[in-house]
Amino acid sequence: MKDSGTVIIGMGNRLLSDDGVGFAVAVAVAERLKHHMDVTVTELHTGGIRLMEAMAGFKRAVVVDAMLSGAHPGTVRRFDPRDFVTTKNTFSSHDTDFATAYDLGRMAGVPLPEQVSFWGVEAREFDLFGERFTDEVAAALPVAVDLIVAEITEWEGVA
Amino acid sequence: MARITIDPITRLEGHGKIDIFLNDQGRVENTYFQIPELRGFEQFCVGRMAEEMPVITNRICGVCPEAHHLAATKALDGVFGAEPTSVAKKLRELLYMAFFVTDHTTHFYALGGPDFIVGPDAPPSERNILGVARKVGLEVAGSVIACRKRNHEIITFLGGRSIHPVAGVPGGWSRAITTEERTQIEAAARKNIAFAQFTLTTFENIVLKNPVYLDLVTSDIYLHRTYSMGTVDTGNQTNFYDGMIRVVDPEGNEFVKYNPSEYREHIAERVEAWTYLKYPYLKKVGWKGLNDGIESGIYSATPLSRLNVSEGMATPLANAEYQRMYETFGCKKITAARYEPIHHRLATHWARLIELLYASERMLELALDPEITSPETRNIPDPARFVGVGIGSVEAPRGTLTHHYETDKRGVLTKVNMIVGTTNNYAPMSMSIKRAAEKLITSNAPDEAILNRVEMAFRLYDPCLSCATHFLPGKMPLTVSIRDSQGDLLREMRRQG
Repeated sequence: MKDSGTVIIGMGNRLLSDDGVGFAVAVAVAERLKHHMDVTVTELHTGGIRLMEAMAGFKRAVVVDAMLSGAHPGTVRRFDPRDFVTTKNTFSSHDTDFATAYDLGRMAGVPLPEQVSFWGVEAREFDLFGERFTDEVAAALPVAVDLIVAEITEWEGVA
Repeated sequence: MARITIDPITRLEGHGKIDIFLNDQGRVENTYFQIPELRGFEQFCVGRMAEEMPVITNRICGVCPEAHHLAATKALDGVFGAEPTSVAKKLRELLYMAFFVTDHTTHFYALGGPDFIVGPDAPPSERNILGVARKVGLEVAGSVIACRKRNHEIITFLGGRSIHPVAGVPGGWSRAITTEERTQIEAAARKNIAFAQFTLTTFENIVLKNPVYLDLVTSDIYLHRTYSMGTVDTGNQTNFYDGMIRVVDPEGNEFVKYNPSEYREHIAERVEAWTYLKYPYLKKVGWKGLNDGIESGIYSATPLSRLNVSEGMATPLANAEYQRMYETFGCKKITAARYEPIHHRLATHWARLIELLYASERMLELALDPEITSPETRNIPDPARFVGVGIGSVEAPRGTLTHHYETDKRGVLTKVNMIVGTTNNYAPMSMSIKRAAEKLITSNAPDEAILNRVEMAFRLYDPCLSCATHFLPGKMPLTVSIRDSQGDLLREMRRQG
């Protein structure tokens, strides 16, 4: 377990078309930042307690996930944990939502990050097996990467 | 006919809903629990090399990747005609026990337990793992997290990767364990046993010693006399990793015992026009609709049904708890070690804890096995023995899981079929929802009570249909609409997740 650095958690299933966008964004963000700071990429399929555990020990955490909010496919949105809206995979049907998991971690004395942000990319195709993104989501990928790189850079105070 | 719609899944989490139809007298006529499916899985797999399957299928479900990984690996043993070495089977089972411990622990403390420990009618904001910790003691939060952590570490080094294991290969396992790793596993297993015992004691003190909760567990609200299914070893005792599929009838008589590779002779799937998911049933009994009884081919594949088919438990502490459960229900012994089946579905929560203890004890047995650090982890497949067909089966925490692959002579997949754990229980789950509706819809019960009881019906099966779908309600937004026979809305109840 680390006690510093930033973890970028890409959520979703890489085999379910647009559901894989979270991980693809996470990898691309880390690629841009890895020579400048301590970044770790984690792939996660379900949320809830697993998500809380995945950010344990890091100073900062960014969660990237597909979302199904009804917005235009490819829309990129940032969520603060305080006004947290559930994105596609941050909830676990097997245990609990992220907010409860986060409180559980605090109760159990798990070292949790000071800063957490959630990023959602609106998906179009999410229940079809496939390893390609739809055009809208493919186009949104670099947009999401730029926004997240900018946020982490600001947090870290790195030029 | 009046119609009630329970739509527990918002657009955010996917889709799926329950329709309850009332007759003109206002009584429940029928219940339709609709589940959509992920599309294109077979097409996605066909044309790929069979050996990719253990790493593809372990992504089908984020909750039980280990179960899919092992079922896929066992199917590959068949495809390549490669019998795993003795230690390979033990390493696979060892990983699986660590997984079972985390999965059953999480279900009890986060989903199943809150209904009893916090109370079935407590507000949803308290009926969660935080509420359990407040009631049992805050240190239990740390114990649950520590349990998950020590077992996830073992799954990671045994499986070669966290979350999505990669170590399963046809004919064996791709890595041996060191003596230091064995020591770590032994220590974790001992802690698991202690934690499982603590959990059973908690269940006894809070649930079984409380007459109100005990009445709930033993009440007939979710009672269905179905057939029971589970995997058994050569001594007809529960085994999660390997064995024969045993089915007992509602009275407890053995109906059939078959090799998992013969599943098509015994299991058929009922297609209904209104749902994508098929209802599996016992072919030789037949489909008689969503009804229980010895004439209906509906079976259950749950922790409770696994215990119903087992001649006691294979480990001593779990066996003592097994006996206690059946004695509590007043079941008579029908063999030297086995009792009449329990059909009260809420007892599934208790059975799950007995399985938790068994998995912990079995993990220790495997860790102490003198062979466990052997480097002989693999038989390299011999091309002359290539078969091209493989059927692999394990007990997933939520039911028997079967993978069936067929390939051409190059090992390229031509056919893929699966029956996933929860799917086995689609019919009983539908019946439990109907029963909850029958008891409550016409009783003028408050909204919360109806929503709670419908949720409890889901939850006792530990449904995880991410295999076949995206999400099912564990705790999530729930909408129940009751309509009159003209389809007009009479009443609507909502709960945010």
